[in-house]
This record gives sequence, C-alpha cells and structure tokens, in this order.
Amino acid sequence: MSEVAVPDSVPVEGEREVTGEVALACHDIHKSFGGVKAVNDATFSVPKGQITALIGPNGAGKTTVVNILSGAMRCDEGQVTMGDRDITKLPSYQRARLGLIRTFQLSRELGGLTVFENLMVAARVQPGESLLNVYFRRGLVARSERDNKERAAAILEQYGLYELRDSWARELSGGQKRLLEISRAVMAEPTLLLLDEPMAGVNPALIERIGEHIIALKNEGVTVLMVEHNLNVVEMICDHVIVLAEGRTLATGRMSDLRANENVVRAYLGGVLDGRVDS
Amino acid sequence: MSDLLLAVGFGLVVASVLALASVGLSLQFGITNYVNFAYGDFMAVGAYIAWTVNTGPWHLNIWVALVIGSLSVGILAVLLNQFLLAPFARRFQKLFYILIVTFGLSLILLNIVSSIWGDEVQRYSMPDENPFHLGPFLFTGQQLIVIGIAIVLMVLIHLMLTTTRLGKSMRAMSDNTTLAMTSGIDTRRITTFTWFLSGTLAGLAGTVLGITQASITPGSGETFLFVIFAAVIVGGIGSIYGAIIGAVIIGLATEISALFIEASYKLDIAFVILILALLFRPNGLFARAGKA
Amino acid sequence: MSPLVYYLFTLAFFVFAYCILTWGLNLQFGEGGILNFAYIAFVAIGAYITGVTSMGSPIAGQAGSGQTYILGWALPFPIPLILGGLAAAAFALLVAVIAFRRLRTDYLAIVLISLSLVLYDVINNFVPLFNGADGLSNVPEPMADVLGLDANSFVPFFTGVALIVALIMWFLMSRITRSPAGRTLRAIRDDPEAAAALGKNVFRHQLTAMLIGSFYAGVGGGLIIEFSGAFNTSAWLPGETFLIFAAAIVGGIGNNKGMILGALIVPVLFTQLPKFLPDVPGHPALILNVAAMAIGVLLIFVLWFRPQGIIPERRRLSKLPMATPTSAATASAISTPPMVGQDTQ
Repeated sequence: MSEVAVPDSVPVEGEREVTGEVALACHDIHKSFGGVKAVNDATFSVPKGQITALIGPNGAGKTTVVNILSGAMRCDEGQVTMGDRDITKLPSYQRARLGLIRTFQLSRELGGLTVFENLMVAARVQPGESLLNVYFRRGLVARSERDNKERAAAILEQYGLYELRDSWARELSGGQKRLLEISRAVMAEPTLLLLDEPMAGVNPALIERIGEHIIALKNEGVTVLMVEHNLNVVEMICDHVIVLAEGRTLATGRMSDLRANENVVRAYLGGVLDGRVDS
Repeated sequence: MSDLLLAVGFGLVVASVLALASVGLSLQFGITNYVNFAYGDFMAVGAYIAWTVNTGPWHLNIWVALVIGSLSVGILAVLLNQFLLAPFARRFQKLFYILIVTFGLSLILLNIVSSIWGDEVQRYSMPDENPFHLGPFLFTGQQLIVIGIAIVLMVLIHLMLTTTRLGKSMRAMSDNTTLAMTSGIDTRRITTFTWFLSGTLAGLAGTVLGITQASITPGSGETFLFVIFAAVIVGGIGSIYGAIIGAVIIGLATEISALFIEASYKLDIAFVILILALLFRPNGLFARAGKA
Repeated sequence: MSPLVYYLFTLAFFVFAYCILTWGLNLQFGEGGILNFAYIAFVAIGAYITGVTSMGSPIAGQAGSGQTYILGWALPFPIPLILGGLAAAAFALLVAVIAFRRLRTDYLAIVLISLSLVLYDVINNFVPLFNGADGLSNVPEPMADVLGLDANSFVPFFTGVALIVALIMWFLMSRITRSPAGRTLRAIRDDPEAAAALGKNVFRHQLTAMLIGSFYAGVGGGLIIEFSGAFNTSAWLPGETFLIFAAAIVGGIGNNKGMILGALIVPVLFTQLPKFLPDVPGHPALILNVAAMAIGVLLIFVLWFRPQGIIPERRRLSKLPMATPTSAATASAISTPPMVGQDTQ
C-alpha cells in the first residue's frame, strides 16, 4: 500500500487517501463470537455524499461490521464515529434518529402492517407517538399525519409500490419486499443509508431500478454505504470501494484499481472478479 | 453454626430435587429453544402416577413407583411433542405461539390431574423414618437416597453428553440446530429422545419433591416452577452445568434463608435471587451465546 | 326482581369487566407483543388496592372488622377504582424497569409468571397485607348509601356503572390503537430490531403499553371487587391469566371488537355454563376441571386453525386516492396553463 499522498484524480493501487468530509468511520474494530474472531481490526472511512461499497469474500465479516456500525451489535473494542460524533455506545435507535438508517439482508418488512403503514411508521417526525399528544393535541397529530402521508404517497409512487399501498406487507413478493425495505428507509430521512446486500436475490431488471434509486439518493445528498456481492453493480454505481477480508480492511479505492490489486484478487480465491455474482 | 450446617443439609436435599428438574428443563430448552411452561405439571403427573402405583392396589415400593412414574412422564412427553408441540413449533415462527400452547397445556394437564386424583393433599406410602446424624448434618435415609439419585443421574447425564454419540449430537444441536441438521444429525430423533429424557427427569423430580415435602397436590409442580426457573436462569439458560450449579445455589439459599425469615417464604427467596441475577448478571453464570 | 334477571345483570357485569381486562391485555400482547403471563397479578393488585382504599381502617369495628389489611382509607367511589388502576400501573413500572431491558420473549414470560406465583404466595401467607388467604370481604358497595340502594337494586345499578366505565375505557383504547403510537407499537410487536433500526425507542413504547394495559387490569379488578364485595387468592390463580389470553386470542387478537366477543365467549360462557350442568356425584369440582380443560383445548384449536381469532385485526386503510400523486398532478397541470420552463411530467 502506497503511503505517498496523491491527488485523488490519480488512482493508485491499493489504498487511496479519502478526501472530503467523512460521514461515518470505524477505527480498530474487534468482535468475537465464542472463539471465532469475526472482525479483526477493521478500520475505514465512508466519504460523505458518495456511494461506497463494502465488498469481500464470504466470512469476511461484512454483515458483522454493518451490525456494529448500525448499533445492532456492540463491538468488543474499537470506535465508531458519525461525522465528529462518537456513536460507539449509542443504541441503534438513537443512531437511526441521528440519520443512520440501515436495511437488512433478509428483508424485514413489518408483516402485520400494510405497505402504507410500513412507510408511515418510518416517518421521522411523529408527535402522534406520544400519548399525551394523541389525547390532548389532536390537531398537531392530524397535521403531521397529513404531511407524512403526502411524503409516503410520493415515495410509494417513486418506488412503484403505490398500487400495493393497502396490501399487507407480508403478502408482497420478494422483490417488492426489497423495494419496501429501501423505500421505508428513505422515508426515515436518512443522512447516511446503510444497505445490506440490497441486490441479493433480485432479478436484473429490478437491480437496475434499485441502482437508479440509490444514485438518485446520492444526488439528494445522502451518503450511501452498501454491502454488495454483485461487483458489476458496484462498478456501475459506486464511487468508492472498501474491501474486507478475514475481518479486516484489505484495501480501499476504485473498483477498477482493486481488480488489479493482488491481495484483493487472492482474497477472492483466484480471480473471480469478473463481475459475476461471486461465490 | 450447627443450625447453619443443618440448613445446608436440607439445602442439599432441595438442591437435589431442583437439579433433577432444572437439568430436565435445560436439556429440552437447549434443543427446542422454547420454554415448556407445562413442565411443573409434568412433574405433578409423575408424582401422581407414582402415587397410584405406590398406594393403590399394586402397593409398590416407593422407589419402584418412582421409576414407573418417571418413565410414564417420559413417554407422555414424547407423545405430546409428537402430536402437539413439534407441529406447532414447525408451523409458527414467532415464539409466542408455542409458549402460549405450553401455557395452555399446563392448564389442561393440571385439570386432568385434578379430575383424576382430586385436589386433596396426598402422601406416599413410605415407612416413617427418623433422621440420623451424618457428621454435622441430619438426614433421613430417604433424603440420602434422593441426594444419591440426583448425583448418580447428574453423572450419567454428564457421561452421556460427553462420551456417547447421542450426547454429542445433542450438544451440537443445542449449539446450532441448522448446522447440526446439515451435518447429518437426525434432529427429529434427538428431539424425541430429549423430550423423553426431559419428561423422565420431570417425573422423577416431581416424585422426589413429593417424597421430600411429604405431600403432593395437583398444583405442587406448578408452584415449584419458578424455583426451577430461578435455578436455570442463575446458572445460565441453556447450560446444563449451569443448571446444576444454579440448583445448588438456590437450594442452599432457600434453606439457609429459613434461618432468618419465616419458613413459609423460603421458596420466595429463589425469586429474589432470580431478580438479583437479572439485574447484575442477566446471562447467568454460564451463559451460552445465542441463548440469552 | 326475578332471580333470572338478577343473574343476567350479573352476567352482563362480568362481560363488561372482562372486556376491560381483555382490552388491557390486548394492548400489551396484541398491539405490543409483550407476553405478560402475570396479567392476573395486576388485576389482583387493582382489586386489592381498590378494596383497601374503599374500606375503612380495619381496627374500627365496622365494615372491615375481623380482617387485617393495609391502608383502609374509606374513599368514595370512583377514587378507589382509579387508585386500583394506578397501583397496578405502578407495579408494572417496577416490573418493566427490572425485567424489560435485554430480555427476550421467553425470558420475560418466565420472569413474569414467576412473579405471579411469588406474589400469590406472599399475599396468601403475609396476612397483614390483604388478609392472607381469606382475602378481603365486606367491601362497601359504592354509592349504596348515597343513593339508598339495597342488595337487589345495587346489582343493576353497578352493572350500569360498569357499562359506563367500559365505554370510557373503550373510547380511550381506540384512540391509542388508531394513533401513530398504536402503529409504532404494532411495528415493534412485529419486529423490534427493525423498528429500532428506524429510530423507535422500543423500551419506551413497550413500557407505555405495559403501564396502560396494567391500568386497565387494575380498573377491571377494582370493578370486580366493588361488585362482588369480596376478593381472595382463589380468584386469581395464575391459570386465570390464561383465561384472559384465551378470551383475547379466540375473540381476535389485535381487534378491540374481537376482545368484546372473546370476553363474552371465554370467561363468561365457559365459566358460567358449567353451573347449569348437573354435578357428577363424588366429583364436585369435575365440571369446573372439564371447563378449564375445554378452554385450554379451545385455545389450542383456535391457534392452529384460526390464529387470527373470530374477528381478526382490521386492515387500516391509507385512504389515499386511486390516482397516484404525480398523475394527479399531471391531470391538474394539463387543466392549468403550463408555466414557461416547467415540466409537466
């Protein structure tokens, strides 16, 4: 890995200095399960306003890292920062309130609610969640419900789910559930969107649509970090790539550079980096 | 001091009953991943079946009756799992369905016992024994047999878990059911056997409880349930050895507490310990990853 | 008044009381996903506190003499009832603070059921609290002296009171379940981790459900003791919790109207019907045992064949128009002259 600072217009093999503001960063993360060290000194930064991919072979610890970043899990050692703020000790719901919204690898639609309700639940400003408001400030609650309803309707339409708005979320197809998961995350007004394998198990046409949505989010200023196996997708939409292997950061940079990086290629077991969904 | 040692002695007897019950519950929980709220009633069924063969026309010796009572519940547990519990567990992903079913089963079993055997307090037909001194302790021969049974069974279970293929398969399943399935372990067979073992231990515990308390009622198993829960949680849910340690702790604590507080509340001490454990060490002494 | 009419009023009272109890459990379990296996203990606390705050001091040789219990404030109706509800809620707060954090469903159920058993044990044995196993009796009939009611007219009167309380409780509950608070609670019920990932403070919402549900339990218990004039431990064995669960699930978990049906079917039908059946000689309690077993079997049947209950949870419609927002905007844009430089699509 080169230690020479280079202007970021010149891609360098291996590490690339991250310039611009950092939206999310983790330092020296360690996490073990029983005797197994899942994450072993992972350190990386997610640049603000860009789409960053987190890739790596199976067992590299990607999902664990995402869980630690989102607060679903506590790391044994290390630090997670969001901008200037140390969020290592914050529970996941507080990180979400700060704008860090994540999706899950297996879509977790709220099955007992309708599609519309799924989105409404995600709304960031809901005075109606407090019972005092429900009983004594009905007007305030009604107004915020109206506003959220408008936004939810627009997002549903954007993601092609409007017709399904009153269906039970559990009755959706796999691809529809994935769209619901992402659109629900969008409804929550994220500043930083953590997508855990958004393209997994999704048909190619839908992949393109989801990719377009993600780029649109970036254009609105949302920082995106996505765990992804589909390296074609990564190449097409991601500005920056972080490679994780054996629980630590192996390399960062642009996809094209990383293809040439020996360490990365070796980590993927013999050059299966030609864009197919790898093993 | 001698009062304390006496209390320790009684505590060991209670711990023996508890250990049998807790291990039975823990084994089953480790494999099926849900708590059997009817466990106390399993104990009651065992106690009453033993009572029937002990005091009824067959008039069998209490220890023989014990074996019959225990094995009967083992068989009952297997049947219940086969026809009620496993189907529900397979069908519903959400935990609360099966928990409500075991809760309902508890009510059903309690009332079956009550309708067959009535609600009056019953006793086993055993020779009255005078306690004798064993060192600083005071035991009856029957109590020593109970402690002996518990120790023997704990050793047998330990050996089974560590040396037999069955036992190792059980441990594998307890750690990671999916992995065990893909490794070629016949999970259904293991589950059936585990229920048999759990039911047998429950029946055994219920009967010895009736022996040591010198009384049985349809609800005695149920009311003892929270003491078992306390032992299991203090020891660490899912851990067999934790269950045994927890049983010893709770058993000793309840009897020693009787030196300071009124005897009718001594079992409630178990609950206090449970709460303290939850506040300060919620994973128990021997926490198993993924179970808590 | 004929015994039949008297009996029907009594039946009606219990339907109203059990409605309140079932709504409370539904909030905790059906909306909140909390498996409160100790629910009956909260009902009992409500009953006991209502009792000891409406009776006078036990030492004075009047209504409460012969019993020992705490408090004894002799407050007028409906204050004891409200106090009963608040006491149950306060107890719930204590329980939740100790047991709710980091406890998964079955751990929590274990703690709660243990609590129920221990509380039962303590109240049974510790006489100074609520008169032990004998329980409270001679609880004064609310407003009986004020309105000059006798034993006969009290029953229809208080049944009417119970109806009014039930209507109020119904109104308050439907506000919650229709609100964003109810929606968030249901989200937490479905998937607490996903809800937390969306910014929901799971603990706070479940605590709220626990407190309010327990308030309902306390009020229901308070009504029962005021109506019956007496309450002891035989009325609240842990199996009673199961009765209310059965009412909620059979009726239709998550639906307040379903709760009414459930309250009618399970606690009332199943416990009252056996009284009309002849006793089996030599087995006085057999009919009751069979009834209890039948409830257990019924619940298991319903869970298997129709888990959503008789009246399932309503689908809450968005009431959004058929036309999507932008097509509606397009439609209105077409009818108004487009401004320069503005897209119409």
